[in-house]
Amino acid sequence: MLKSFEIIGNWVEEESKILVLGCGNGELLKELQIRKKAKGSGIDIDEKKVFEAISNGLSVIQGDINDELSDYPKKFFNYVIAHDVIQIMNKPDLIIKQIVELGDKVIISFPNFAYFMIRFSILFSGRMPKTEIIPYEWYDTPNIHLFTIKDFREFCRKEHLNILDEYYTGFSKRAIPKLLRPNFLAEFAYFLISGGM
Amino acid sequence: MELIKDDKFDSYNSPNSVGIVKTRYHTFAFPPDELALSSGKKLGPITIAYETYGVLNKNKSNAILVFHALSGDAHAAGYNTRNDKKPGWWDIMIGPQKPFNTEKYFVICANVIGGCKGSTGPSSINPLTGKSYGLSFPALSIKDMIVPQKILLDHLGIEKLLCIAGGSMGGMQVLQWLVTYPEASKGAMIIATAAVHSAQEIAFNSIGRYAIVSDPNWQNGNYYKESVKKPDIGLSIARMIGHITYLSEEAMHQKFGRNIINNKQRFTDALPDELKKTSEKKDLNRYKNNGTTDFTKEFEVESYLQYQGEIFIKRFDANSYLYITKAIDDFDITKGYENLADALKNVRAKCLVMSFTSDWLYPKEQSLKIVKALKINGIDTTYTNLEASYGHDSFLINDGRIKRIFTGFLKALEE
Repeated sequence: MLKSFEIIGNWVEEESKILVLGCGNGELLKELQIRKKAKGSGIDIDEKKVFEAISNGLSVIQGDINDELSDYPKKFFNYVIAHDVIQIMNKPDLIIKQIVELGDKVIISFPNFAYFMIRFSILFSGRMPKTEIIPYEWYDTPNIHLFTIKDFREFCRKEHLNILDEYYTGFSKRAIPKLLRPNFLAEFAYFLISGGM
Repeated sequence: MELIKDDKFDSYNSPNSVGIVKTRYHTFAFPPDELALSSGKKLGPITIAYETYGVLNKNKSNAILVFHALSGDAHAAGYNTRNDKKPGWWDIMIGPQKPFNTEKYFVICANVIGGCKGSTGPSSINPLTGKSYGLSFPALSIKDMIVPQKILLDHLGIEKLLCIAGGSMGGMQVLQWLVTYPEASKGAMIIATAAVHSAQEIAFNSIGRYAIVSDPNWQNGNYYKESVKKPDIGLSIARMIGHITYLSEEAMHQKFGRNIINNKQRFTDALPDELKKTSEKKDLNRYKNNGTTDFTKEFEVESYLQYQGEIFIKRFDANSYLYITKAIDDFDITKGYENLADALKNVRAKCLVMSFTSDWLYPKEQSLKIVKALKINGIDTTYTNLEASYGHDSFLINDGRIKRIFTGFLKALEE
């Protein structure tokens, strides 16, 4: 059982230049800095979390991801990492299109809304599903654009994005092999992608 | 700088204070090698007053240059004498175990030229005439303020700084330093400042200048003879206006509300006796007892501002105020460049940009423009708009969060 930063870290080459969207207090940034000697920066909107991150010596910009991406030079980063944030964006499609321009490679992770527990929950309870990783009430959830693994694959196909690698975790964060119907069994998905040619 | 918040300071014998410090002086640019200023005029000899705290390490890699704001000086930390009531202007940040930790870093602060606290300025004696410069002192720019500080560093044998830091006009000096000497610092703290001084900022400074030049005692800047009255009222009004802009509505409301001075102590009561006597005669108070209308009731905030004006004239020169505010108003780092990103294209330092939520004089939009330009150039940039209630002066307040941010930023620079 790997932790998120280990799964992401396994894709990140040493001494890469990285950008972490919605980096919060900088946990992932710090891990990648220590383990992978990454030269990292982050963006987060929450002043208190940004304070934690920058007090820790991390390079973080307090701001809205929707506004902050346009300034960086193209292909400035080796990796842009959007860990568990795409589904909270107003325009997830625009953000993904922007970050594949900014990074040689992009790591996107998200909760899979087609996870069988979610399917069963809505089927049997008739109510908006709640799980350990999406525990919110329908009226105060940050997740305004939930999607599934199938949806994401379809999006990549349509936008000519290359899926370079993928990783899935299911019940109690155990890895789910790619061939084992991840769209049904995986609770959380990680994709390593790059812009199309 | 006097603050609205009654911060507790470390006394000179506290383990967190740099203790008793001496202001030192470096003189250079002797004729015929005067320093050429941005205006094309020449100035020399130039004396620059500076203080240093901590010890410079062997490879001279632990030096930090701190720039002061409009009314600041070289005395950034510790006490000049045991009898000083207050320590240097950034004592909360500089000292053993403080963010600019003098057990690790060698901190330097110099008074800008044009100032009146030891560096050459309009109140200094012009060696050619034997009299004070007054208005014959050449016009200055922010660049003209940093060049002498670079000369001071060369004199101290420091090639590359670990960090430069400053708020307000100090932040402008940081920006100018990054443009003029892009290789000369590893890190930079750009606090509560602007890359281009705005119309509103110029407007407030200009009222201050009008107040000074409208004072009959100003006499075209010729008021340095001992027997001559100084433009104290003009300068104190300038300071009062400035002071309002450094605070926030919230801070003023909390401290004063609509309180009226009754039997309570006036702020001016805290003045030294000799100053109190003169202040009672001030024309400022003339309207209060004109026999017909009762203007004697005084709001606490009124009395506070007067107090700020009164103590300021004791330590500041009116002509310096004119020259320095003019340099600030002229500040436009994009001059001669296509835009801000173009101006900052050679910057190599890791940058920390900081604004404060309640700072309406230098609002966050101005900091964001700097952040944007740094990002376009791919500079390693950190930015926060810190929740702070003390307005523009928040960077001078003893705020644990600012301290932790500085500490973290400096530590990352060492790696």
